[in-house]
This record gives sequence, C-alpha cells and structure tokens, in this order.
Amino acid sequence: MDTVNNVKSSRRRISTTVAGLTGLLFLAGCATNAPQDTWQAKGPNAQKISDLQWIVFPIAGVVGVLVLALAGYIMFKYRDKGQPIPTQGHGKPTAEIILTIVPALILTVVGVFTFRAIFELAKTEDTEMIINVTGQQWWWEYDYPVQTELGINTPIISSGQLVMPVGTKVLLRETSRDVIHSYWIPALNGKKDAVPGRIHLLRLEADKPGIFAGQCTEFCGLSHANMRMEAVALSKEDFAKWVASQQKAYTSPADGTLAKEGETVFLNQCVRCHQVNGLKKADGTPALAAPDENVYSGAAPNLSHLMSRNTFAGAMFDLLRKSCRADVWDATSEEFGAKYLAGVSESCLNQTDLRAWLRNAPAMKPMYADPTKLTKTGGKYRGMPNLGLTENDIDKLVAYLLTLK
Amino acid sequence: MAIIERPSSEVATPAVVAPSQALGAIRRPVASKGWRSWLFTVDHKKIGIMYGVVAMVFFIVGGVEALLIRLQLALPDGRILSADQYNQMFTMHATTMIFLFAMPMAGAFANYFLPLQIGARDVAFPRLNALSLWLLVGGGLILNASWFLGGAADGGWFMYAPNSGPVFSPSNGVDFWVLGLQIAGIASLIGSINLIVTVLNMRAPGMTLMKMPVFTWMILVVQFLLVFSLPVITVALVLLMFQRSYGATFFDVSQGADPLLWQHLFWIFGHPEVYVLILPGFGIISEVLPTFSRKPLFGYPFVVFSGASIGLVGFGVWAHHMFAAGLGPVSVAVFSISTMAIAIPTGVKIFNWLLTMWGGKIWYTTAMKFAIGLVVLFTIGGLSGVTHSVAPSDTQQTDTYYIVAHFHYVLFGGMVFGLFSGFYYWWPKVFGKLLNEKLGSWNFWFMVIGMNLTFGPMHILGLQGQPRRMYVWTEARAGEGLFNFGFWNMVSSIGSFVLAVGILFFLINVVITARNGKQAPADPWDARTLEWLATSPPKEHNFDRIPVVHHLDEFFHRKYEEDPNTHTMRQIATGEELIRAEEAAADSDIHLPGPSYWPLVLAIGIGVLGLGVVYGTPVMVVGAAVVLLASFGWVLEPSVPEAIDYASPDGDGHSKEIATHG
Amino acid sequence: MAETATHTDHAADHGHHSSTGLSNNKLAMWLFLGSECLLFGGLISTYMLYRGRVQNGPHPSQIYDIPFTSVSSFVLLMSSLTMVLAVTSAQRDDDARTNLWLTITALLGATFIGGQVYEFTTFYREGLGFTTSLFSSSFYSLTGFHGVHVSVGVIMLLSTMGIIKRNKITGNKAEVVELVGLYWHFVDIVWIIIFTLIYLIPS
Repeated sequence: MDTVNNVKSSRRRISTTVAGLTGLLFLAGCATNAPQDTWQAKGPNAQKISDLQWIVFPIAGVVGVLVLALAGYIMFKYRDKGQPIPTQGHGKPTAEIILTIVPALILTVVGVFTFRAIFELAKTEDTEMIINVTGQQWWWEYDYPVQTELGINTPIISSGQLVMPVGTKVLLRETSRDVIHSYWIPALNGKKDAVPGRIHLLRLEADKPGIFAGQCTEFCGLSHANMRMEAVALSKEDFAKWVASQQKAYTSPADGTLAKEGETVFLNQCVRCHQVNGLKKADGTPALAAPDENVYSGAAPNLSHLMSRNTFAGAMFDLLRKSCRADVWDATSEEFGAKYLAGVSESCLNQTDLRAWLRNAPAMKPMYADPTKLTKTGGKYRGMPNLGLTENDIDKLVAYLLTLK
Repeated sequence: MAIIERPSSEVATPAVVAPSQALGAIRRPVASKGWRSWLFTVDHKKIGIMYGVVAMVFFIVGGVEALLIRLQLALPDGRILSADQYNQMFTMHATTMIFLFAMPMAGAFANYFLPLQIGARDVAFPRLNALSLWLLVGGGLILNASWFLGGAADGGWFMYAPNSGPVFSPSNGVDFWVLGLQIAGIASLIGSINLIVTVLNMRAPGMTLMKMPVFTWMILVVQFLLVFSLPVITVALVLLMFQRSYGATFFDVSQGADPLLWQHLFWIFGHPEVYVLILPGFGIISEVLPTFSRKPLFGYPFVVFSGASIGLVGFGVWAHHMFAAGLGPVSVAVFSISTMAIAIPTGVKIFNWLLTMWGGKIWYTTAMKFAIGLVVLFTIGGLSGVTHSVAPSDTQQTDTYYIVAHFHYVLFGGMVFGLFSGFYYWWPKVFGKLLNEKLGSWNFWFMVIGMNLTFGPMHILGLQGQPRRMYVWTEARAGEGLFNFGFWNMVSSIGSFVLAVGILFFLINVVITARNGKQAPADPWDARTLEWLATSPPKEHNFDRIPVVHHLDEFFHRKYEEDPNTHTMRQIATGEELIRAEEAAADSDIHLPGPSYWPLVLAIGIGVLGLGVVYGTPVMVVGAAVVLLASFGWVLEPSVPEAIDYASPDGDGHSKEIATHG
Repeated sequence: MAETATHTDHAADHGHHSSTGLSNNKLAMWLFLGSECLLFGGLISTYMLYRGRVQNGPHPSQIYDIPFTSVSSFVLLMSSLTMVLAVTSAQRDDDARTNLWLTITALLGATFIGGQVYEFTTFYREGLGFTTSLFSSSFYSLTGFHGVHVSVGVIMLLSTMGIIKRNKITGNKAEVVELVGLYWHFVDIVWIIIFTLIYLIPS
C-alpha cells in the first residue's frame, strides 16, 4: 500500500486512525508501488472492493485490538498472586447473549455492504466493449471480436498484454483451453477463474492510461508461477491508433535483408504453431499455422504485431530492455500512450531473453516439451520445444521478428 | 488385553493367559510386552500413543517440506527446487499436515483421553480402533511412497480437476495420492463411528451429555462432521480414480464434463474438514484454560452449543472457497452471509475463554501458555477470516499469501498450539513424567515468535499481490523500497527456521524427559476431569472402579467443596487420596478385549487391494483374498476371549466383568 | 460395559445397558448407513448432472428397458420382506426358519444381481461401455456401486447363515441378523431411489 496516497485521502486517514497503531505499523511495512498491490485501485470496480475493505478491515482491526487488549489485561490482572481459588461460577447467560448479539449486529452491517457490492460488481448490462480472454498452459490469449463502433472491423487476436481504452466498461469473457486458470489484475478488479467449458464474466475499467500487472491465481500446473499478465489502458484516441495498427496489413521484409532470411526460417519452423496474419509461403499461398496438430491444448500465441507488445512467453519475459521498460512503466498518464504505442525498437529489444528463448525455450520456462515424454498427449507438446536453431538462424529470426510491428 | 488383574494387589501381574483358538485356525496373540504387544494391541491407550508417534513423524516430514518451500522462496527466482519439485512439495506439505499429522494427532488425543474422560475402560470397538490406526499408517506410507516411485502428487491438496487428470498430471503421484487418501479416509470413517458410539453409549453412570468434558464434546462434533463429510470426498476420489486408471471422463471437458463438480464435492468435504482440524484444539484448551485458571469453563453450554453450531453451519459454507470460480452473484451472496454467520459462534468461544480466565487465579504453565497462544493467534486468524467472508474482498485475496497467512494463523496458531498445549498438559498422564517446564518455555516462545515471523508477513505479501503456489516470485512484481517482497519473504523464511527450532526444543524435551524426567505426582495440575481419577499412566483397565458422576468437572468437585458461609473453595481431598480410595474399592474382576491379529492383517489386505489400482489386477486379487480371509477371521474371533482362556490369579473364573466388547 | 459388576456371562456382552439404550453394534450400523447416504448422494448427484451429456453412444432413453428393471426391482423389494421374516424368526430363536428366510433373501438378492449383470451385458452390446460417455460412466459408477453393496449383502447373508448353522456366532444371534437386515433394507431403499430417479424420471 502506498502510504503517501493513503494519507492524502481524508476518509482513509480517518479509518487509519481508527485502526490504530497496528494499522499504521502494517501500512508502514508495505512496499511502495508493488505492481499487484490489492489496495491501489485504478478503476471503479477495484475501487468498490477497496471501499468495502475500508469498512471491513478497520472493524476487524478494532475488534482485534480490543480483544487482544482485553486478553492482555486479564492475563496480567488475574495472574496467580496467591489469591484463594475463586468461586466456581459457571457463567452469566446475559453476558453470553450480549456477546452473541453484538458480533451479530456488526456482521449484519458488514453483510449489508457486502451484499450490495456483490450485485453491483456482477452488473454487465451497461457493457461498452467485449474482449474474449482464453487461458492456456501457460499464457493468455486476447481476442477482440468485431466491434465496429470501436474501429474493430476484423477480429484482433493478441497475447501477452490486454489493451483496452480508459473510461470504458470492458467485459472480459473468460474461458480456458485446458485446466482452470484465473484472471487477475488487482488494480482493476478481483479475480475470476477461467474454467474450460464455461464462460465467466469479469468487468474491467481503468480510470487513467497506464499499465497494470497481474498474475494467474489458480494453480494451473508446472509453470503456474510464470503465467503473468499485463493490462494496458490507453486513452480513447490512442486506443483507436492501437486498433488501427493491429489491423494493418502484413508487409514482408525487403528481399536480401537478414529479416527476409528470417522470414524463411519462420516459415520453415515457427509457422507450424505460430500464426502471422498475412504471411505467405514462397509459392504465394497463405501460410497457416496448425497449432492444434502440435500443441495439446490447441493454440499458440499469434505473433502478428509481436513488437507492438512489450512481453513474450506468457508475459514471463519483457521484450523491452530494463531501462526502456522502466520508461514505459513509469510514464505519466499523459505520456504513457505515445510511449506504449512506439512499440519495441531494435535498440530497446531485450535481445538476451529473446535469443535464449529461441535457443532453448524449455530451459527458460518449465514446460512439457520433451519430445520423448509425450505419450500421454499423443505426441503433442504442452509448451514450446527446443527447436535446435543455429545461432545464425536465431540472428535471422530476431531480425525478422523486429519487423512485426 | 486379555488379562485379569486384581487391581488391589500391588503386583501388576498379567495373569497366565492361555491362547484362544478362533475357529481352531489361528491362535490369538497373547504378548503383553515387547513389540508384539503393540502390533496386535486393541488397547485404546497404546493405540493412542501409536497414533501420536505416527503423527509426529509425519509432522516432521511435513515440516521439512515446509522449510524447503521457505528456502526456495527466501530469494527471488529461487533455485533450491525445480518447478516440478516445488509443486510436489506444497501439495505434499498440505496433504501430510492435514491428513497425516493434524487428524491423526487429534485422533491420538481422542483415542487416549476420550474413554478416560467419560469413565470407560476402552472404546466401543477396540479391534476397529486398531484397524483405523493401521489403515492410517498404510495410507500415509502409500502417500509418501510416491516420492520414490516416480514423483509425488503435484496438483495441490485441493487437486482441482482437470489439472489432476492423466494428461495434465502424468506421473503416478496423483494415483498414489488418491489411494492414500482413500485408505486414510476409511480409517477416519471407522474411527469416527467408533468414537461416536463410545461417547454416546459408554459414559459412566451419571455423566449426562451436559456433564461431559468439553474436549469430549468437541471430539464428538468432529466425528459427526467426519461421518457425513468423508463419503463425499470418497465419491470425488473414486471418480478421479476411475478417470485416471480406467478411462472414465468425469472431469474431461472435451467430453462435456464440468470441472466445478470436483470443486463442489471437494469443498463439501473440505470445509467441514477445516473444523475437523480446529475443534480438537478448541476442546483441548477448553480443558487447559479452566484447569489453570482454577475456574470452570465460563458458559459451558454456550461453548458446547457454539461448537455444535460451528459444525452444523460448517456444512453450509463450502462455496466460500469458490468465490472466484464464477458461481453467480446469488450463490456468492448466500455463501458470503453464511460464512459471516459462522464467525458468531466462533466469537462466542473466544469470549468464553477470556471470561474463563477473568477472575481466575492463573497459573502460567507451558500448557497454559500454549492455550493462551491459541486464543490470541486464533483471534487474529479469525478476524482475517471475516475479511474474506466478504466475497468481493475475497476476490482480491483468494489464492494470495493473505490466505496462506489466514489459515496458518487458524491452523498453526489454533490447532497446533492446541495440540502442544495438550502435550504439556497430558504428558504426565500418559507417561507418568512431567515435561520439563523450562525447555517448554523455550519451546513456546520460539514457536510463538517463529510463527508470527513466518506467517505475519504473509498478510502483507498477499495484500500486495503475491499469489500462492508459485515456485518462484519475481523482482518485477516485488515493489520498491525496503519493505518489498524481498524483505518480507526473507523475514518469513527466517521465521520458519525459528519455528523449526521451537519444535526441536519440544523433541529435545521429550528425549530428556524420557531419560531423566521428574516423576509426576498423581494430580500435578489440580485438574478437573475424570481422566485424572486414573493413575498416571493409567492401568490397562483405566479405572479400578467405574466412577459415578454427579458434576461437570467431577474430579475437581471430589477434591473441593464450597464453604456455605464464605463461598470460598475448600479442599476436602487430594487427587492422590481419591485415586487410592478407588483402588481400595476396586471392581473384582475386569475383563478386557483380547489382542488380535486381524486388524493388522485386514489393513494390509486393504492396502494391497488399493495398490492393485496402480499395479494391476493380480495385485488386486491378492489384496481381495487377504481382505476376505481377514474379515472371516475377524468375525469368527470372539471379541472378548472365552472364559476358558483365563486362569484367573485366584482360580476364580466367575463374576467376570466385561469392560467392553466389539 | 462396565457399569455394574453383575454381568456373569457373555450374553451380557450384547444387549446390556448403554447410555442410549441402543446396542453399540446397532448404533454403529446406523451411523455407517448415515454415512452411506452421503456416499450415494454424491454418486446420484454426479449422475443427475451428467445424465444428459452424451457425445457418443446411446442416450438413456434409447437404452433403458424399464419393464425388465421393474421386475428386478420388484425382486429386490420382495427380499426386504423375506429379510423381515428372517429377523422375526431369529428373534423367536427359530434357527431353521431364520436360515430358510436368509437363504431366500440371499437368492432374491442374487437374482437382482443376475439381472444387473444381464442388463450391463446388454447395454455393453448396444454400445454403452464404461467410458463411452459421461452418462455411461456415471450410470455404471452409481449402479455398479449399488450392485457391489447388494453383493456384499448377499455374502453377509450367506455367511450369517453358515455361522448360525455351525453355531459359531459370536454374540447375540438375533441382533446379528437384525444388523444384516438393517443393511439390507438400506440397500433396498437406495435402489428404490435410484430406480425412480434414473429409470422412471425422463431426462
């Protein structure tokens, strides 16, 4: 929790005072700007939850302090000082009844607020935008269905970062292709499980442009810890630009460049699973990925416009070098849009991780990608295998991937 | 044991025992000393001690697993364990602690003290009692054998489908997990039926339900919870087994299955299970707090009824584990409210414990310190529990370290502190020696400090967004400043070792006490309940004369009476005098159930039968044959040896008293 | 129980004083059956959830032979009657009749099992294997579990009879028969519920 922000808000200040010393110590013990802090709401849904917490936590804190103080008092006052053995009284029913009713009343108050918040947070009628979110071991796919009023005229399929306009009530329709995952961007809302065979709804809305971190929160197997997400909120104008960039036609690299050679490597290797929209084979026919033939859960990230995202491999690694990344993350909300839309330039590319990934992906992220251990999946992979690329191939591929803006 | 003993005679001689011939096939075991006397015993006290030993071993195993987890998480991108090893580690840590430590340790106390507290000579079904123990041992061995047979289960103790399916969890770990739990589940079911019958049917004359010690009451509630929740997890485990081993598709979404079926079945069991874990701790401190406050429990009926209502409501709150699972707002609201409701009886308990101490004459023994530790730590855990009964708030907290903090305050601060309080309180009863109080103090303070250092920071980590069940955490999400994830994870890891040292003090204490501990007086704590009317350690038949009960806290009221004028308590007898009086008026002949081979044989048969699921039909057939054989041997063996099996010390074979049967 | 020192023979082992008035064995059996209710409850819920989920193979309505199952259900129902007669005979200490009724009960139970084996075989031939669909898996699990319970009951009936014949019974004879009877009635009642929910109410 950011202590500075808390003190600024008068309501919070009052509550904090009420919660007493314990609360203050607790807040002082928190990191500044933890990206997944649950108490730094950046949108109305998370704010609703936060408001509720600012009722419940102080009450719990006060009750806790009172009970512990009472315990301390009793422990001191009634220690054995040589007094006689007390009368063997068996209790006072009035005291019992009072001590039952008081907590019940407190909980009734909490219950009323809770009840209201549950139904408010479940509201979906006034949705302004829909994004389909699909979990798969161990990454998320974002699929923007056609919504002409937002400029989305052909479906956009992306991964790594969820991009959305600010001040817009976005409805995520979550599902999963294999096991249960859970989508959680703490700054925007609580979490909701993505369950295979079901569609669950989660509303997100961001107040200001910025980037918000999240993490899969339902244990989903081997690389659960590496299944991260980032939600990017852009101003409505910037979002329109982003939509346009995602619908831009594919341009093949110029002949004779390293990138062009990289395209050939991509066609030979990567396209088995990874789609790049508009990519054509040497004979001019469209190159269509067939991840369902190679990947057990049925999909692999669509890499069209890869360099417009800042992450890869299920948001486990950054495409931006540390300093470039910090530049985007720390940008003010006014500057953020432009910085984000600039994408990944060659000078900013995190070559180390990207190359290591291309060299041997399973060494970077635990996956079931050992070709000798695929009997239970009928020979299909769960994760990206080691493709045995040469350093030369990797140079070419990196050059090619940099063109996917 | 099949002995006739003249309690009044000073020499504790097991009588000459001639073996009985069940069906003329196998002779009854007769050993009353040595390892055979333990292996084939049906004595609830020996079984209780064995439960304790087994649970303690698994406590250490689970503890080592916990330390490895904390080592891995002390620094970002930990490299002590691989992702796979870590996932196995946290799965087995929880499974071990819940099913192989907490439940059996509560079982140890229940087995040992329940008959003593109600003035009985054994449980209702002594052989079934032995069967429970051996099945538990079998289940525990199968669960842990998986470490050496291709990897342990790696799906979390909640084992959510479809991640637990054959494709997503390809090693045999989950198969062993299912089997181990199934077998341990049968053990618990048998044990719980046994204990319920014991409490309901075998109370000493005059002990009405509302004169039963609170520990007995809480154990009774727990057993009812088990009887009605275990079959539900049994169904879930059977479905999972059919899917993994026989090709069924209960949780295969491509066949149209609904993964939430598992969650509902699991938590309908899993939430009552939480109270199964905590109520024995509540029961223990409800004995300890009054004893060391020198006052009866404040509001006994309220404590009893709140325990019972916690049990009842506990069946109606399971979906609060699923607030993020997409249930729909109506279900969420209902379960949110019912979860808040359960806080009320829990609060009642805490207030009653505090008011028990109010106006008392508090004696700070180690047992009392642990009991107060429970009250304080459980209060913290309970309040953080209230914060996530608020469903919207829970959607931010669930599956983060905040939850880990919460349930460790409740289970470690609640249950484990309760059990340790019980160790120090009842050790002299069981072994006749007092645990060293000085070492006990070290034990307590290291545990309190270690526990708060370990689990306290997890509240902060969770609220700042560190999810649980992650084999690494990354600096990218750690935040800035001194007090970031790095700091708190390090504190927590250091705390876990402080905690481990605390538990080491206990083990040292046990060894030292066994070697040269102080002989305990008959009534070292000026205690209140019937178990102290037996000698320490109790004789094989528990009571020389079955007590007739007139009061709640019968033992105390035999020692003290209220002065009608001054209303102060006046001692009229010491515990020792009372025990001697009982010996003098001992029942003439006491007839106890005989030891038996069959519980052990049957348990082995069931274990082998289970392994057949993994190792194929022939193994299963062998197991089934052993089970059938053992069942017939069991049925045909008289539960109490025939009179001709005895040659009573004075040659008088008549007027035998049946201590129990079963 | 050791409440008084007046018991002089082993008959006192059973049917003696207990705090509830029920014998230990009977109380335990009731608790066990209570637990079994939840077991079948879980299995029935699973079936009810999955009965319409058929991606391969036959649907419930295509495969159930209700007249046949009605007959075998009737047979099982009748066995409850004969079980009652066995219990009454045992209480009258009439070993011959007890054994007779136990045998008939066991035969009726075995007939039911035979019917179930026949039914399963037919279903299998018609393409409903254990793993065919969610419906088939949950159907076989539920009815199979019940079948195992009936089989265990038959074994218990026959064993009880054998033990009575050889006069090897440990404890109160009438109570042993009554306990087996309790179990048998329970298994019967469960079948009535299963038959109604599964066969009679269309999905």
